[in-house]
Amino acid sequence: MKTDLLLAVVLIVCLTGAVGVTRGLTQHRRDPANNSGEEQLYLNGRSARRMSLAFNGLAADWYWMRSLQYVGGKVVQYEDEHHGQFDLTSLSTLDLRLLPSLLDVTTTLDPQFIPAYEYGAVILPETNPDAAIALLNKGIAANPSSWRLHQHLGYIYWQRKDYARASEVYEAGAKLPAAPAWVTAMAARMKAEGGSRNAAREMYQHLFESSGDASVKQMVEHQLARLDWLDERDKIKDRLTQYRNQYGRCPATWREVTETLRAVGLEIDRTTGAPLDPSGIPYRLIDGGCDVDLDPSSKVPR
Amino acid sequence: MYIHFMLGQTLAIARNTFREAVRDRVLYNLILFALLLIGSAIFIGELSAGQEAKIVVDLGLSAMLLFGAFIAIFVGVGLVYKEIERRTLYAILSKPIGRGQFLLGKYLGLNLTLLVNVVVMGIGVMLALLYARRTWDPLALKIWPAILLIYCELLIITAVALLFSAFSSPAISALLSFFVFVIGHFSNDLRALGDAASSAPARWLFRALYYLLPNFSNFSAITATAHGMNPDARAVGGALIYGGLYAAVLLSAAALIFRRRNFK
Repeated sequence: MKTDLLLAVVLIVCLTGAVGVTRGLTQHRRDPANNSGEEQLYLNGRSARRMSLAFNGLAADWYWMRSLQYVGGKVVQYEDEHHGQFDLTSLSTLDLRLLPSLLDVTTTLDPQFIPAYEYGAVILPETNPDAAIALLNKGIAANPSSWRLHQHLGYIYWQRKDYARASEVYEAGAKLPAAPAWVTAMAARMKAEGGSRNAAREMYQHLFESSGDASVKQMVEHQLARLDWLDERDKIKDRLTQYRNQYGRCPATWREVTETLRAVGLEIDRTTGAPLDPSGIPYRLIDGGCDVDLDPSSKVPR
Repeated sequence: MYIHFMLGQTLAIARNTFREAVRDRVLYNLILFALLLIGSAIFIGELSAGQEAKIVVDLGLSAMLLFGAFIAIFVGVGLVYKEIERRTLYAILSKPIGRGQFLLGKYLGLNLTLLVNVVVMGIGVMLALLYARRTWDPLALKIWPAILLIYCELLIITAVALLFSAFSSPAISALLSFFVFVIGHFSNDLRALGDAASSAPARWLFRALYYLLPNFSNFSAITATAHGMNPDARAVGGALIYGGLYAAVLLSAAALIFRRRNFK
């Protein structure tokens, strides 16, 4: 009985000591996130596939969740450092150097893992567009009947203002049996007016409709709001120019142009008479009332 | 009449082997499996960004193969050894039962144990999938062809374990069986090595290994199934025929060795 008690005490004391030492060592490391998080992967995709025997799907799932946690960890780190909400339009501020390798291993282990290609198509263009294009070309080679991968690749080329390539990719996607009719229309639109705001709006709307990922939808909503703001800015600047031509000066307050802005369909703030941006925050007059800009508190990306 | 009598004896050995496996608490593995799946189904939804169904199927079928292979190897290598150690083999063989018949009975008994395991695990995967999706998912039925192929692979692994246990100790037999399980999944690499080899003898060696060792890639349908893609009927049929032929080869070899073994 005494021996049992002694052994139990030794067990508890040693375990507590081991936990304490581990905590001390962890805190002693200067930047544990950078020490362990950014290590290059030990295995490339082909080796991982070979070593996973029949469990390549399960290994792909593990790398997939690791990719999500890698990006998630970076977002949390960003929010901690910047004391603010992160959205996908700020992706370029994150250092996601390991993500291309993680997604490459995931898709080598399971070449039919479409969500992994789509995730890369949304996240990578901001940080490493060449890796995004390589990933999607790999996805198209492994899944030649997936028109959605063509849609994503076309989107990346469009973002790079390579409208001819975007049109080619959409055309290839349009030939696939399950592709909806709008893919053909997008191919033509890319060729004719790739850089236009209408083309961008259509691109984002189709991306919004075809994506099941909430974060992608949020990113697209932000981009659509940005396009709305650019349209509204044109309308407001047009009215401000008209006012200056009529009165020989720019308006001192929004009240002086409220009615004319309401007439072109802009939503107006009741208290100040200022037009509201797509996130519901009043615009502000700049340059002595001759120009308009978003308020710093606005949620619309520039 | 004689064949009927022989069949009855073989099935009696098979029934006893199954009972023995149940008494050995082999089926406790099912509780662990069910807990693993239910636990994963609850937590994976939070981690997988909408890929719960794929991950539950990948995890469920992979665990089924792994647990099944462990049962096939560790129970399989002890089937003959235990009978020798407990000296019950002498009592059995003193009756009009052939050694090959004894091995076949043992093999069928373990296969029955594995069948119960695989079916219960399959139902577990279905339930975990339905829990994860919170609604009916056609994937719950699409997993069964892959489960059939997993079972067929386990039949070969059991036969491999039985073959090694016919002439070797349980520890060595388990190790060798595990090597065969691993090498069987490298079969495509063996073929690639054969194609890439510059010398003719090396090319022949790798090609011979490719055809002689069990080719478990014939039974690999887990990853495709997780995407809702079923193997076609020809591939399943071919794999089942291959599995049957290969198991017959291994059992014949085991019987040949076992018939010549001296138990004195």
